Amino acid sequence: MDLFLKELPQQLVNGLTLGGVYALIAIGYTMVYGILGMLNFAHGEIYMIGGFTGWWVLHLLSRNHHVVMNAAAVIALMIIIAMGVSAFVGVLTERFAYRPLRNAPRINLLLSALGVSIFLQNLVLNYQGAKARVFYVHSLIPESVRLIHLGPVVITLTRLIVIVVTFFLMALLSVMIKRTKAGKAMRATAQDLEMATFVGIDVDRIIVLVFIIGSALGGAAGTLVGLLFTQVDYYVGFQAGLKGFTAAVLGGIGSIPGAMLGGVLLGVAESLAVTFLPAAYKDVVAFAILIIILIIKPTGLVGERVPEKV
Amino acid sequence: MALRAQEKRRRLTFYGAIAVALLLLPHVMPNEYWLRIYIVTGIWVMLALGLNVVAGFAGLFDLSYVAFFGIGGYTFALLSSDQLGIHLPFLVVLPVAAVLTMGVGIALGSTSLRLKGDYLAIVTLAFAQIFKLLLLNLDTPVNITGGVNGIFGFDPISIFGFKIESPVGYAYLVWLFACLVTIGSYRLKMSRLGRGWESLREDELASEAVGVDTTKMKLMAFAIGAFVAGMAGVLFASLQDSVFPNNFDFPQLVIVYCMVILGGLGNIPGVIVGAILLSILPEFLREYGAYRMMFYGLTLIVLMALRPQGILGEIGFLTKKRKRPDKDESGTLKASTDLYYKEAEAPVSKAPKVRYAKTGRIILEVKGLTQDFGGIRALDDLDFVLHEREILSIIGPNGAGKTTLFNLISGIYRPTEGHILFEERDITGLRPHEIVKLGIARTFQNLRLFNKMSVLDNAKVGRFCRTSAGPVSVLFHLPRHEREEAETQEKADEILGLFGGRLTGYRYQQAAMFLSYANRRRLEIARVLMTEPKLLLLDEPSAGMNPQETKEMTEFIKYLRDAHGYTILLIEHKLNLVRRISDRVIALDYGVKIAEGTYREVANNEKVIEAYLGRKGHGKRAGIKI
Repeated sequence: MDLFLKELPQQLVNGLTLGGVYALIAIGYTMVYGILGMLNFAHGEIYMIGGFTGWWVLHLLSRNHHVVMNAAAVIALMIIIAMGVSAFVGVLTERFAYRPLRNAPRINLLLSALGVSIFLQNLVLNYQGAKARVFYVHSLIPESVRLIHLGPVVITLTRLIVIVVTFFLMALLSVMIKRTKAGKAMRATAQDLEMATFVGIDVDRIIVLVFIIGSALGGAAGTLVGLLFTQVDYYVGFQAGLKGFTAAVLGGIGSIPGAMLGGVLLGVAESLAVTFLPAAYKDVVAFAILIIILIIKPTGLVGERVPEKV
Repeated sequence: MALRAQEKRRRLTFYGAIAVALLLLPHVMPNEYWLRIYIVTGIWVMLALGLNVVAGFAGLFDLSYVAFFGIGGYTFALLSSDQLGIHLPFLVVLPVAAVLTMGVGIALGSTSLRLKGDYLAIVTLAFAQIFKLLLLNLDTPVNITGGVNGIFGFDPISIFGFKIESPVGYAYLVWLFACLVTIGSYRLKMSRLGRGWESLREDELASEAVGVDTTKMKLMAFAIGAFVAGMAGVLFASLQDSVFPNNFDFPQLVIVYCMVILGGLGNIPGVIVGAILLSILPEFLREYGAYRMMFYGLTLIVLMALRPQGILGEIGFLTKKRKRPDKDESGTLKASTDLYYKEAEAPVSKAPKVRYAKTGRIILEVKGLTQDFGGIRALDDLDFVLHEREILSIIGPNGAGKTTLFNLISGIYRPTEGHILFEERDITGLRPHEIVKLGIARTFQNLRLFNKMSVLDNAKVGRFCRTSAGPVSVLFHLPRHEREEAETQEKADEILGLFGGRLTGYRYQQAAMFLSYANRRRLEIARVLMTEPKLLLLDEPSAGMNPQETKEMTEFIKYLRDAHGYTILLIEHKLNLVRRISDRVIALDYGVKIAEGTYREVANNEKVIEAYLGRKGHGKRAGIKI
């Protein structure tokens, strides 16, 4: 118990980092689910592609493991380009795999999403190989500022960057959803797609926008995790996708604040679990949480039950 | 008769050809390598057919299927090797493994099947992940699964003294099982279970509302799929003489799904062809092996977009041409009206003699029924009684709470407050299929037929709750199954016969979606009559009908009460119809009962007039034509 209390602040910080990333992934799931009512299996792969893009940007801007320009600018470029590429892939999947099936039975849509996931995963496997790509973070962050002490907690600069960027992006999204016209249109479409069409909202465009935002955030998460764990491989999307989905369900699928809350909670729960259990069972904990939540309270923490219209 | 004999002969020839092929094939394979592919293909066929029950018949997106395959394999590995020092004979291990797998399937299913499609997918995916993590990590502290190194060196299979060691022996064994699974699939599909699954796949709510226990049916599909996967796992483990965690991983799952999708969900011959194709094709494309999974992913996307029914689904020249009675010998269409006047001697016109009289016994009692949706009170403290063999109409403007009342009585919603008593029994909170079984059946305002099912099958689904043959009866064609099938057919002939040529004759085989609107309404009524209800809830039975059809429907409803003794609760907007047949009328407005009595009383009620036409002005008195 003593050990636990001593470890608590540190694990909370670790959990918060991881949780922020999960939240970014969860937002993509939750937004698509909110509007199309579908589970976008390929979202994990979008995240993975974001990670690879980040690695390529870093790789192209480095000579002999040293970045050729300002480190902060490199990190910003990595994240922004990763967001762009992921958003592009997200839009493509929507256009070719989901849009033709908008009126098809649910299982067809899910199968198509599964197909996209496998396709993208193996595309990357074939062209990038099975070996993990290593991020040379040392060239970005000099030794002197790598660790920051805040009272009992030690935090690495990368973690700090991850936390700042994730929460900045989430705040940006919240403002966008609340304040802008497009945000309003998105909320309307999520509530009632047909009615939104009737009041003059171009639903197709809103759906594309949702895929852009969700995929961009997923891509950002991919690069951030790359910085954090310093590597990325073709298979990371699968686990990350499941975690993101768990976070989305935990918070209440369809709800953006729920996804943020769920992500942070899941991250913290996982970090705490590691202090008790062997690390190999970390994922078992996450999936067990998912199954239990789905069985006990499938609407999640802030979700609402909507009766089926007969 | 001659035609049937010919048909039978053709079928026997077909079966004979398959049997000969299966006997010969293992001996004509060019080499050991191809023989092995031939055997593995048999295992894929089994797996694909098992998944077809879950995903094809019942429409469940189950991603733990490959874990069930693994549970079967590992059970065999643990019970028939030196790993734990247990050496049970094959004929014991096979059923044990299959039943154990089924048990795990039921345990997982019973916790997660209440969830809608996507959630089910994710729970099963998480389960498959947990299973794989356990396989990988249960080598410490006690070595059970062998971790990444797996388990190898199993006891050879011996069946009644026959040792199966040669590949040819395996070929026969595996394909024997593949054939058994095929026959089982056909038997399931052509039974009440098959119809139950098909209905729930098409419209889960309607399926539940006509008496199908959808939760149980889903669980059953899940269990049967797990059972088959478990058996396939045992055969696979024995064939490979080893098991590794990555034999039962995501790629295998994707391959089985591709097979089922390629063949067409629910299409048995299609799935077999799909499994064979995808087992053999990669051998020819071995140079492009790296692109195999990419190709599978793309296959799924393209098939879903372009041919969701699979390669064998609805191909013109392969589908048998049915003789259409609405065409004469030369193939020109007869006017449908000719057909109608020839066959449609609806018994309605045969002047119903009053055989049943009202008894005055209370059959349904609604007490203090209240339903809130968020902040809206759809029904407010409603009380009324319904007597046996009475026709009671509920009228009221849109949004008055009429359909909500039906949804509450039929168990689709649970009331916020209040009770519903049917034959003095409290039925509040029962599930819809339980209420149907007690004798209350409903139709839907917007028609919820099983559109892709035939007219006959739509009617037969209604019989589900009055029959009980389980999977064992169905798979072995036990007497109960045979008796119930015959009786279901008889009842369907009788009930559909009530509607004359509209629903009988060549229409039997027509998909419900091709019927005219009025005929669809009739079919929906036929479907609920099949459930042998005591109380019928008809939600706007004449909506969308022309005056002639409405008149006929009015007569028919009256006939149902008079000649068959049903009690009827009716929602209707056409006041002419209400006026003609109602014993009593209740008017609702904003969820509150504003009037009750005979049609005349209600129609003259101030509040009713106000609800329909608005507050009285200074001008002439508004009124409803009586």
